[in-house]
Amino acid sequence: MPDLRFEATVNGRKVSRPAKPHQRLLDFLRDDLNLTGNKEGCGAGECGTCSVFVDGVLMKSCLLPVAKVQGAVIESVEALAKTGELSMLQKAFHKAGASQCGYCIPGMVMAATAALRANPFADREEIKERLGGNICRCTGYQKIFDAVELARDVQNGRLPASALLEVDTEEGVIGKSVRRIDTPSKVAGRLKYAGDMLMPGMLHVQVLRSPHAHARIVSLDTSAAETMDGVEGVITSADVPGQDGFGVFVNDQPVMARGKVRYVGEAVAAVAAVDLLTAKRAVAAIKVVYEPLAAVFDADEAMRPGAPVLHNYAPDNVTKHIPIRVGDVEKGFASSDLVVEETYSTQAIEHAYLEPEAGLAYVDHDDVVTIVSPDQNITHHRHMLARIIAKPISKVRFIMSPVGGGFGGKEDMIYQGMLALLAMKTRAPVRLVFTREESIISTAKRHPSRTTLRMGLTRDGRILASHMTMICDGGAYGLSTEGVMRKAAILGAGPYAIPNVRVDTYGIYTNNTPSGAFRSFGALQTQFATESHLDICAERLGLDPFEIRRINAMRDGAVTHTKQKLGSVSLTRTLDAAEKASGWERGAPVSRGSTRKDLDRADIRPPVSLGARFASVDKQEAAE
Amino acid sequence: MLLCDDYLTPASLAEAFAAMAQNRGRYRVVAGCTDTFPWAREGRAGDVEIPALIDVSKIPELNALRVDDKRVRLGAATPIQRFLDDAALARALPAMPRCAVWFADDQIRAQATIGGNIVNASPAADATPCLLAHEAVVELASARGKRTMPLQDFVTGPNETALLDGELLVAIECDALPAYGGSFEKVGHRRSLVISLVCLAALVKLGRDGRHIEDARLAIAGIGPRPLRLTEAETFLKGAALTAAKLEQAAEMPVALVASRTRQEYRRDVVRGFMLRGLINAARRAGAGEDALAPELEAAYA
Repeated sequence: MPDLRFEATVNGRKVSRPAKPHQRLLDFLRDDLNLTGNKEGCGAGECGTCSVFVDGVLMKSCLLPVAKVQGAVIESVEALAKTGELSMLQKAFHKAGASQCGYCIPGMVMAATAALRANPFADREEIKERLGGNICRCTGYQKIFDAVELARDVQNGRLPASALLEVDTEEGVIGKSVRRIDTPSKVAGRLKYAGDMLMPGMLHVQVLRSPHAHARIVSLDTSAAETMDGVEGVITSADVPGQDGFGVFVNDQPVMARGKVRYVGEAVAAVAAVDLLTAKRAVAAIKVVYEPLAAVFDADEAMRPGAPVLHNYAPDNVTKHIPIRVGDVEKGFASSDLVVEETYSTQAIEHAYLEPEAGLAYVDHDDVVTIVSPDQNITHHRHMLARIIAKPISKVRFIMSPVGGGFGGKEDMIYQGMLALLAMKTRAPVRLVFTREESIISTAKRHPSRTTLRMGLTRDGRILASHMTMICDGGAYGLSTEGVMRKAAILGAGPYAIPNVRVDTYGIYTNNTPSGAFRSFGALQTQFATESHLDICAERLGLDPFEIRRINAMRDGAVTHTKQKLGSVSLTRTLDAAEKASGWERGAPVSRGSTRKDLDRADIRPPVSLGARFASVDKQEAAE
Repeated sequence: MLLCDDYLTPASLAEAFAAMAQNRGRYRVVAGCTDTFPWAREGRAGDVEIPALIDVSKIPELNALRVDDKRVRLGAATPIQRFLDDAALARALPAMPRCAVWFADDQIRAQATIGGNIVNASPAADATPCLLAHEAVVELASARGKRTMPLQDFVTGPNETALLDGELLVAIECDALPAYGGSFEKVGHRRSLVISLVCLAALVKLGRDGRHIEDARLAIAGIGPRPLRLTEAETFLKGAALTAAKLEQAAEMPVALVASRTRQEYRRDVVRGFMLRGLINAARRAGAGEDALAPELEAAYA
């Protein structure tokens, strides 16, 4: 593959260097120039973390071959604060609190810069539209739009420059709006995430993943890969020196598949090589013979006798069953005026943090195996890894790199074990950066659930009994399933004083992608059932949905279904606030259609559309 | 991951044909590259090694642009953003700026080309229905010479065109329709950067009284293997008064054409709604009188 000579102006400096014909501009900036401010969130032009200016036009550098921009003037996010002084927009992002994990922010700042260059007077709708190619997972966008509007107004003289400064007139921090101290590093693209980090002599890791949902590994031959030029190490489960198994509650997951694979995307082997391409080619050269096994993809089916068994220790495929019993639900139903039963289901959800998993590992001068990664649970992982690699805890170190969004999805030790083994085997620093596809296929999702809820109520809306059974698809490994089932059960009946409660939550093994921690940790699934159910019951009883909740709300001093005494309960205050803010029209939740009174209210959002930039044209046309 | 040994950027058609001849059977032509890179990823084509990528976006013939009151000639490498930035183009192709604003996002529009959208031949291509409504003709060239054919015949199926080995799409010629009002309706899973589930281009020219349709041009994508011109509805609407009854009748006509692999029922609803919304928006922009459109219809669909 002959190199080409790439000449361009990058951030004001002439660049003349060899480049690969297949290299993308993003790779050239990040790998060759070490300009890591712009990120790779998806590699497919969807997310905008890689947005850079090419001859003044904003483009996605993951879609640009470097050969295509020969001779161009290129500006990455580092150009915006080249002297160290943040640009006006960067200051506005800081002021408005527009950055959380920060991973989307360099691209977002670039898109905002492009938007205000295109139209310095853009209104909020046009700003939204012009930022449409950039995704943020944390902020909900409102603070980002606030920041762009703030910068616009300062730039246009509608607000003084002092509007960008921190107002610090009040004492203390609690209850005050305080600027994040890490924002300047994020808006400038200076903060190094794990995938941005380099070490001298660093090797690149790629992982061989299972194409089968359930299969026995008949043979695994890495010899061809090991002898390839540039390959420094290949590992399989045979390289694990200690007790192989990790998980938050049950250590049922090997670092790499051991004997059999249990889901599509499970790691089978890993390679460390001098560059990414060699590592990829080595992975392709590993020969695995699989014997496919019967697989199960539905939690209910997995619970039936005779279903394929994933783990020998759990012949019934039950990862965890959590029962809760309060009073006697059958008695409660017998004295109820109305009994309603429904089934609710929720689907798997991907966390979709903008930063795909990445990690860097090395064995330091004191023989300490060190893992740097955006890991949400480093202390626990340190203990597990020490056992897996058979080292004393003092010889294992975890460093938590900035987390480019986690939401619970980075609580599992999915890849850190492989990095440790490769660093130990090669005695060199090793780095693994997931692709977006790899992140989606191999890491935990929110538990899909099916909940059957039977509720008995009096005519005036008091709940006498609640019987809930939730079956969750935990996927191939335990991960956080046990905790998720606990939380789901504890919170399942909701913040309502109910004399008779029976809850059963089941986490079940299947050959789907493992389920794990995700914001709200099980409460979402059961609350979805309980709250939907209350609306249905309110409708059947002719009650206002706020009212039925107030009638049953736990009050200060209540004792929960799991015997926890609550000093104060904010539910009724929350209900009052929600009722007011939503402009709720009192009554039973029956469809009011055209008699709704809130549709034209100024604070009710209209449906989304595009074409804000035509708004003025349309007005003109209408006027003509 | 997309790998290549050579990334060639020919400066002329002759150079391009020479590169194609030299690399026969081992090249792929690219322009904006916005479809090629996402294609060469896991879950789609995976890691792809193509010995030569031939980038035609710098060839002058593919960048030439000519607009007058009758005809428009678009070089195949014209970036989609151009339809938003160039006032003369926007006047001649009234639905195109509205198509462009829904086409990917600001950044990809700056890179993606009109020719790429056509040659890619997605059943849901956004630009193709617009151009169909303008009776577009494609100009193809190879080392052997030039030929032209209607765009309608050029796109033959999902990702399939009449392009022959060694041939390039050089330009698109179509009617300039400055007297028409244009609209483009699109729905997908996301506001920006989304593939159409259905998209529809509508162009309407009104009679002098502003109360009847002198001519309507309609084309749709996302409902079957390839984008379609809606000739039956067009013929029906010629000379029709702008009444709710007429528009609703016209809106029913393409519903039976839905032949997508998935979500047919949903798409039938969308087609009906888009026909009404497209015609109303286009008629309004063509200067329909304040009272010419049935108010309840406009309130419901525009």
